[in-house]
Amino acid sequence: MDSETLGKKIGISEELIKKSYTLSLENQVSNELFHVDKSSSDAVFIVFPGSWTVKEWFSGDQAFGETKINSKDWSKKAFPSMRSIGNDDVAIVNQAFLERFELVLKDSKDSKDSKFLEEVTLAMNGNKPIIFTGHSSGGAVAVLATIWFLEKYSKSNTGTAKCVTFGSPLVGDYIVSHALKREKWSKYFIHFVMRYDIVPRILLAPLSSIQQELEHVLHYFTANGHHYPLESIAPDFYTNVMRNTSALASHAACKLMGNTNLLLETLTNFTKLSPYRPFGTYIFCTGNGKLVHLDNPEAVLQLLFFSCQLSHENEMEATARSCINAHLDYKTELLGRSLEENVVYVDRLEELPLASDGSALDDLGLSTRGRLCLRAAGELEKQKQRNRQQIDRKKAEMEEGMKGLEEYKTFNAQKVGYYDAFKKQNEKRDFDANVRRLVLAGIWDEIIEMLKRYDLPDEFEGDDSWINLGTEFRRLVEPLDIANYYRHAKNEDTGAYMTKGRPRRYRYPQRWLEKKEGRERDTCGESCFWAEVEELLKLASNGGKVDEARAKELQEGVAKWIKDGVAGKDVLLGDSTFLKLWEELGRLKLQQECIGALMTNFTQLSIS
Amino acid sequence: MEAEASPFESSELVASLLASTPLLSESWRLCSVANAAAPLGFVSERIGDVGYFAFSACSIQMITEESEYYSTCRNLVPLDSAGAGDGDRPFSVLTKSSNSSINGEEDEGAVMVHAGLLNLFLFLRSSQAFKDQMSALINGSKSIVITGHSIGGTTASLCALWLLCYLQSVSSTLSVLCITFGSPLLGNESLSRAILRERWGGNFCHVVSKYDIMPRLLFAPLESCTRQLHFLLQYWQMSMLASSPGNFGQYFPVLQLGEEEKAHLFSFISHHNLLVSSVAQAEAREEKANILYWPFGNYMFCSQEGAICLENAASVIEMMHLMFMTGNPSCCIDDHLKYGHYVGKISSQFLNKKSFLQGEVIPESSYEAGVALALQSSGISKQEPAARPAEDCLKKASGMRHMRTPSLNAANLAIRLSKVVPYRAQIEWYMASCDKSDEQLGYYDSFKQRGSSKRDHKVNMNRLLLAGFWNDVLRMLENNELPHDFHKRSKWVNTSQFYKLLVEPLDIAEYYRSGMHRTKGHYLKHGRERRFEIFDRWWRERKVGPEENTSMRSKFAGLTQDSCFWAKVEEATEWLAHVRSESDARKLALLWENINNFERYATRLVDCKEVSKDVLAKNSSYSKWVEDLRELKSQMQQIHPQFPRFRDGELFP
Repeated sequence: MDSETLGKKIGISEELIKKSYTLSLENQVSNELFHVDKSSSDAVFIVFPGSWTVKEWFSGDQAFGETKINSKDWSKKAFPSMRSIGNDDVAIVNQAFLERFELVLKDSKDSKDSKFLEEVTLAMNGNKPIIFTGHSSGGAVAVLATIWFLEKYSKSNTGTAKCVTFGSPLVGDYIVSHALKREKWSKYFIHFVMRYDIVPRILLAPLSSIQQELEHVLHYFTANGHHYPLESIAPDFYTNVMRNTSALASHAACKLMGNTNLLLETLTNFTKLSPYRPFGTYIFCTGNGKLVHLDNPEAVLQLLFFSCQLSHENEMEATARSCINAHLDYKTELLGRSLEENVVYVDRLEELPLASDGSALDDLGLSTRGRLCLRAAGELEKQKQRNRQQIDRKKAEMEEGMKGLEEYKTFNAQKVGYYDAFKKQNEKRDFDANVRRLVLAGIWDEIIEMLKRYDLPDEFEGDDSWINLGTEFRRLVEPLDIANYYRHAKNEDTGAYMTKGRPRRYRYPQRWLEKKEGRERDTCGESCFWAEVEELLKLASNGGKVDEARAKELQEGVAKWIKDGVAGKDVLLGDSTFLKLWEELGRLKLQQECIGALMTNFTQLSIS
Repeated sequence: MEAEASPFESSELVASLLASTPLLSESWRLCSVANAAAPLGFVSERIGDVGYFAFSACSIQMITEESEYYSTCRNLVPLDSAGAGDGDRPFSVLTKSSNSSINGEEDEGAVMVHAGLLNLFLFLRSSQAFKDQMSALINGSKSIVITGHSIGGTTASLCALWLLCYLQSVSSTLSVLCITFGSPLLGNESLSRAILRERWGGNFCHVVSKYDIMPRLLFAPLESCTRQLHFLLQYWQMSMLASSPGNFGQYFPVLQLGEEEKAHLFSFISHHNLLVSSVAQAEAREEKANILYWPFGNYMFCSQEGAICLENAASVIEMMHLMFMTGNPSCCIDDHLKYGHYVGKISSQFLNKKSFLQGEVIPESSYEAGVALALQSSGISKQEPAARPAEDCLKKASGMRHMRTPSLNAANLAIRLSKVVPYRAQIEWYMASCDKSDEQLGYYDSFKQRGSSKRDHKVNMNRLLLAGFWNDVLRMLENNELPHDFHKRSKWVNTSQFYKLLVEPLDIAEYYRSGMHRTKGHYLKHGRERRFEIFDRWWRERKVGPEENTSMRSKFAGLTQDSCFWAKVEEATEWLAHVRSESDARKLALLWENINNFERYATRLVDCKEVSKDVLAKNSSYSKWVEDLRELKSQMQQIHPQFPRFRDGELFP
């Protein structure tokens, strides 16, 4: 067992957790959109009440009520990081919860700033951390509020936030989990889940399979202990949710275990699996006071399934009922006893014992099959780390190759420029440079392939050392790729380099840099100006009309990049393709401005 | 080498995934409907986006006496014999690829299937009702399940194969899943290989219960027991009819086999299943050829304890044998009728925990534990003699291919690719240097006439090394050692295309240089390696953006866009030579037609600059051919003034 305190391990003290729960419970049913509590000296609580109609859980026309997080203008601006960078997959979240959060964000009394924004600002001015919390669907809104806060304030370092949920349904897909890890925000999310609570599993089933029962169940939750005929609906509800959970969990487990059976692919065309996945830290309450702490999202998904299985068929009715009742049962687990003493941290999943070992996992009812699936989840994470180490070890080889090309560039800097030398391929040296380029491209393509399949740790695309290496590589080698492309006139096979031919190994690092520096898409295209030169040249020499704005933009760009030292001065050498364009451009030359001046300077320098 | 993640056994999880979907129970429901009453031999239905098409088990008598069906069971016919004539080749996609194989292995033999079952399917397919219902399903669904119980299952398999062939030919993305229950075997090993090659194994799931004798029957030579089979088939059919709700309580005369006969049949089939099983494990090819029937696709074995999915054919055969031998003569007959029970059972099993039985020792390794759980699901208990071999069989099924994970294989392949890239670069370099050379041969002819210089030798070595690399890639892909979407990953599609365009001309040159065309026939028909055809397909099926660039080229392409261009030049050269000596007027006309066709084709290619500039080198085979043709035509002109006049590359009547 760990000697660290709970507070240290999850970054929030027991007292604040208990307070969060008390507040969530008090505000479980409320007409307010959110409630602010400032009674504590350690934190400001913003509590979100639950919502209890089916359309507040599933909206829109998708099977699982999902939507892309950037589907609306406001949300596109509010959640810029919720995507994968290179692959540019946008996160999917529950539409109903997103709409609910939109109400929160825009709720204002007298057309001034929104009330919510005011409260957040106030709390930050008071230098207190904010705890976003809620029970049930209130927890889901708290999650969105926390992501919103982190997107808005984490860069400026002015405030901190935590998200503590109790029995929250799932909110977003794998990309949310991926992005939170990359931004290192994952640790701010703590979800408490009762072993049998059905709610965190509900969104794993399509609405069509549970609609009728869900209405009753939600109604039951607000009926506050009044008698309600659960018997008639509980077994169907439980079975349908679990059937879908089982399909998703077995599919995920097959992938974790590296199964290649093509049947898996075929089946996904026949049944739609839920897009939602857990993220952040989960603390499962076993029901007898023990708490199980896990932060591997794949393992949490497996546990959501396996902890709710039956030991015997005749338990069905009772389990189905307790699955619904457990949602209202957090009080005894969380308030009555010390959390600190009862929490068990489950890590090193890949070494989890397979037999029941008297640990808290037994109290979650984990079968051997379940334990194997958790092991597989741990193993996958380890494999990702190994992949990372493997490519880290290649850095030396990459730097070596780039050094060679750097020398090649310097060698040609006084003659024709390495772009044009490479394009001509007259010398053995040029051939060697090509082999170097191909070897480097091979290594990078491999990295990109791994990223495409999310086979690298989520943090990879946020790692400065790789962003820098990628940028360096892109600036040095991409001109050679362009040279090669136009040397073989591939633009005529497949289209212009920028639209058809640009390899991912350059697109991805460019997006990394743009993300890191918080810039707009396609603003860091300095490494591919040669492609624009070639395209304009082709237009100009075919007697076509060269778009003035395009020509201007290119020239200004080149001037700026040369000044910033991003592009070399060899661009301006006598025989270079750029100079050819320069001649063709004729009246479009910007003699008076930026590049004109540079050009004159350069010519004078080389003469003298 | 990188430490490998510890492997897991997941055949049971695939089964639980399938069991958690409504697919099995819906399919079975429709199968029972079809078995009870399907005057057409099939029924169809749509549930949501999924179309279901079920074949009846009782339609065999529509075309033949059932007993005849079994007495002719050793009578396999080539699948490509099917068709209504006039270019109707419903299975051409499947039969074509068996003609040549990678690694230059010998022809594996034709794809063969059971003659009677093929006839049955073709008969059903020819009806208007089939066409109507099938096209309604194809147009109205996002995915189609084809299913059938017993003999209906084999018809379903044939139908699914036909549909997959058809959908591929029209480049449709509709998904097809074939689910059979207790289906007899259908075809030979070549069929199984061909399905693997098309990567269709995942479109078939054969549900087989632990003791059911039906799926195992065709392992044995049944000529000697036609009488028993006749009774057996009748018994099953009557039972199916009697169990349907519409016929409930009606009296059907059920003819049962005597106990002794049952026992005889059981041991007979058991014995032959064992024989086949032991041969299937052996490496020797010749012996395998003696096994007529061979499973394909996934097998979902189900027992009272659960279900497992296996896809490796040899393991499927062995598992069939091991499960069967734990049964007895009467359950092996009744089990064929119990699929409703099994489907119900496995469809609700996901709710129950899967742990070890009390007191059993749980292995520490994930893999061993997974195997033990799978064994438990297959319903073979540890104490039974079949347990040990079954465990080995499960290990072989997964171990054969998953000792390393597919993604890791792909990653390692990427590393190997980066190591062979320099070979390719050297060939490019060679190509460029030929362009510059004074001989002006172009790199095709330079390579064809190459001497024994070190450089020539090196280029040839590189060509062979690259071929070896790509053959390895394809072998791994066929053995499912690579990720399922490997052939769609742009990196590999592009690299293979580039390889093909650059190196295939050298392969052609080598073919004609070594005179292979004189012994084997021309390259295009007889010499082209299968890898190039596969790469052709990858390239054709790649995802392309909406606007394909169609503008004219300003200069010659870097590489000739038709990698078989030179093979066509070689054939055209031969025609030109024959024209001079041919005297038969009809043959002569044919030759001229060929020549003119080629000329048109080549001229268009050159005009569009779709060829690389080496094609037009002064002394290239192509330039020579053009020159020859011009000369010939002008000669003809002098001898026969009525011969069409030749001017500027065009013919005037």
